Amino acid sequence: MKTPFIKTPLKVTLDRGVRKGMAQRMIGPLDWIGWPALGVLAVTIVLATPMKVFGLYLPEPVLPLALAFAWPLIRPSYVAPLVLALMGAFLDYFWGAPLGFWTLSLMIVYGVIFLLRGYMVGQDMMVIAGLYGVAVISFFILTTILATIDSGMVPRLISVFEQALATYAAVFLVLWLLESYVHADVRFQ
Amino acid sequence: MPQGDKHFEHLKLPVNWGVMALVAAVCIFGALSFLGDRREEVSGRSYGNRSGFDAAAGPASNVLATPAHVVGDGANWIDDYFFAVRENRILKKRVQDLSLYRDMYFQQKDISERYEKLLNLRTEPPVEMVTARSVSVSRGPFNNNRLIDAGSNAKIRFGNPVITDQGLVGRVVGVSPKVSRVLMITDVVSRTPIMIARSDARAVMSGDGGEFPRLDFVRGKDAVKKGDQILTSGDGGIFPRGLPVGEAVQGVDKVWRVKLYANRAPIDFVKILLYEDFSQFPEADQVLMTPQITELLPQPAIPQPVTAGATASSAGVASTPAAGAATSSAVAPASGASATSAVARPAAPRPAQPRPTAARTTPPAAHPAQAQSQTQSAAATASTEVPF
Repeated sequence: MKTPFIKTPLKVTLDRGVRKGMAQRMIGPLDWIGWPALGVLAVTIVLATPMKVFGLYLPEPVLPLALAFAWPLIRPSYVAPLVLALMGAFLDYFWGAPLGFWTLSLMIVYGVIFLLRGYMVGQDMMVIAGLYGVAVISFFILTTILATIDSGMVPRLISVFEQALATYAAVFLVLWLLESYVHADVRFQ
Repeated sequence: MPQGDKHFEHLKLPVNWGVMALVAAVCIFGALSFLGDRREEVSGRSYGNRSGFDAAAGPASNVLATPAHVVGDGANWIDDYFFAVRENRILKKRVQDLSLYRDMYFQQKDISERYEKLLNLRTEPPVEMVTARSVSVSRGPFNNNRLIDAGSNAKIRFGNPVITDQGLVGRVVGVSPKVSRVLMITDVVSRTPIMIARSDARAVMSGDGGEFPRLDFVRGKDAVKKGDQILTSGDGGIFPRGLPVGEAVQGVDKVWRVKLYANRAPIDFVKILLYEDFSQFPEADQVLMTPQITELLPQPAIPQPVTAGATASSAGVASTPAAGAATSSAVAPASGASATSAVARPAAPRPAQPRPTAARTTPPAAHPAQAQSQTQSAAATASTEVPF
């Protein structure tokens, strides 16, 4: 009796050694979009606590940027940009920014990464980490320009650098998302 | 080519194009929202209708921030434990220094009250305050905001100044029944009219998202020096005059900045001044009116021999009932407050220069307060014992 499973073109995808077990999982939007988004929002709210620890304020990273970088690399999706837009609107309201400020900035990053995903998917994780750094720098240059246009005042660049550094610390979230969900479901291919 | 692959191709392209179209649509929506923003305007509508979000975000922040508060309290306990001795030394020295300033404060306050009475100054009335707790903060370079757990139920309104026990923090820009949003003076859209206490020079403090907002429009030579105290000037009517803001420092770029007093300690509890503008004064038209010099200065007295002992008496000697009433009303707070050395200091008798027009005709009063001030002025004129 022949096994049709072996003959299908999916064999190449499934025969990946350690990833073989992962390939049999069913990954839904809630797994790679919903829960990470809720987690990021919760951490953002917690980090907004007005307190000092050992004389230092808590950092304020723009954590949704990690999702805007990782989601288009995982797979094209209609849900991801909508959730990202909602997260941008949340930041606009929660941080008291002009409406559309964070939404526009995050969506531009998502769109650029989505256009370039063909060149980025499959790269080594060190390369991905470097590309995420480039994305963070570009993102904060964009937000600085937008804030200057809006207020007529250039934001303090040292503070921008500090926030960019805190945002780059979320590279571990990016690498975890890619490791967990890229090629995790055959339907993503 | 199998039939399935053909279908797959037809499905894949619409997904990519569809996602791009969706991203473009969201970008256009975001850009239009951003261009329509009026956050920099001093208006209750500048933040739009965000009170619903703030009302929900306040309690949510309180709940989610509980673990952070536990960690922070633990860290502060460790910090206090290891640095208690050093902090005790610092506090002892500070108490010693402040005791000197306290005595000076009482003396100067006493003198100031006497002058206010004598000059019939229209001082600002005491402003009612509400205490609230900061439940959330955004401290990034682009937005500096706070959510506090008091709102319109506590009479808080748009524009109310917010301070701590250290100094100015910001002003209220959004109000919901139980939560308010505070725009901090370090925000990039914040502009605060200030004055330098030493030189009385005016400037505008502009936030740039950092801890040291910059001073713009500083005029005059040596108007600002390092360490000068910065106060709110009250210009524009948003902030009352005289709120402590910080000290002047000069950055490496030679730009004058302000080291904020409010950053001396974590901003946890804040006070909201229920101050709106000049319109809340009982006599707003009188506050804005510059009084004539003849209303402020007493009438010249005819030179008479005045004994040193009589001059030193702060109560003065009333020769007429009207003069007695005026003198007692002028010095009652001073004598009742404390008999300090500054008050009881015998002043050298200064003979007043006689003026040709000794009899001043007072114009009819258009306001009851003005009539009262004229009465006091006339009474002070009748008295020969002016406590100068």
